[in-house]
Amino acid sequence: MKNEPFVIERTFNASPERIWKAISDREQMKQWYFDIAAFKPEIGNEFEFTGTSPDGTVYVHKCKVIESVPNKKLKYSWRYDGHPGNSFVTFELFAEGDKTKLRLTHEGLETFPAIKDFAKENFAKGWTSLIGTSLGKFLEKQLSNKTA
Amino acid sequence: MRRDVFQAIADPTRRAIIHMIAKESLNLNAVADRFDISRPAISRHIKILTECGLIAIKQEGRERYCKPRLQKLNEVSNWVEQYRTFWTSKFDALEKFLSDTDPSSKKNISTKKNKRK
Repeated sequence: MKNEPFVIERTFNASPERIWKAISDREQMKQWYFDIAAFKPEIGNEFEFTGTSPDGTVYVHKCKVIESVPNKKLKYSWRYDGHPGNSFVTFELFAEGDKTKLRLTHEGLETFPAIKDFAKENFAKGWTSLIGTSLGKFLEKQLSNKTA
Repeated sequence: MRRDVFQAIADPTRRAIIHMIAKESLNLNAVADRFDISRPAISRHIKILTECGLIAIKQEGRERYCKPRLQKLNEVSNWVEQYRTFWTSKFDALEKFLSDTDPSSKKNISTKKNKRK
């Protein structure tokens, strides 16, 4: 049973080559992404970096490059050192005229049971807004992904 | 078989049940009455939802009621939202970086070819 991955897309005013460099050249990566000493866009390359995870905790991220197609696709595994679970981050580039669409897919987030501190303050926020908005959107997306 | 939020919401009938229960606690028969599918099938979905921790069954008098367990549902949205926030901020940073280093932009001072240190 597979879960639907998280997907985010944006069209940038840049060529695929420039975006590829931004996501795969460590000098450029550290200017907007993370400072990753051992990064190389080569299959099998293992790297790690310290970063704040979305739940606000600082984790050592452990990654390994799985796919690398210059100017098109970069995929690596992504897990948190000392914690269970493993996920996959994929960057895909699509040329659109003089612009480029970047699609980021993050699969396997559901394998991170330890990353939590969910609920709490949001608990009180109310069920109505939750079911009407965030969850609704999430479910719709799930549905459309499935039927697509 | 896995039993978590994501398993729970993987099925359209279960999603419909969640929406229903979210608005009001309903007894098991009332839930079943709102669907065209068989009662045993509904019972099976409710059992899965219970095992996934999304709803709880409470005995009240002679009736058995399905009640929502909000915490678990928050787990879905907050957790996806956290990653959405994270990646959105990274995309913002990338956008700024690309614009700052745009070779065709007038404000850019570097040469067309990327300088190597």
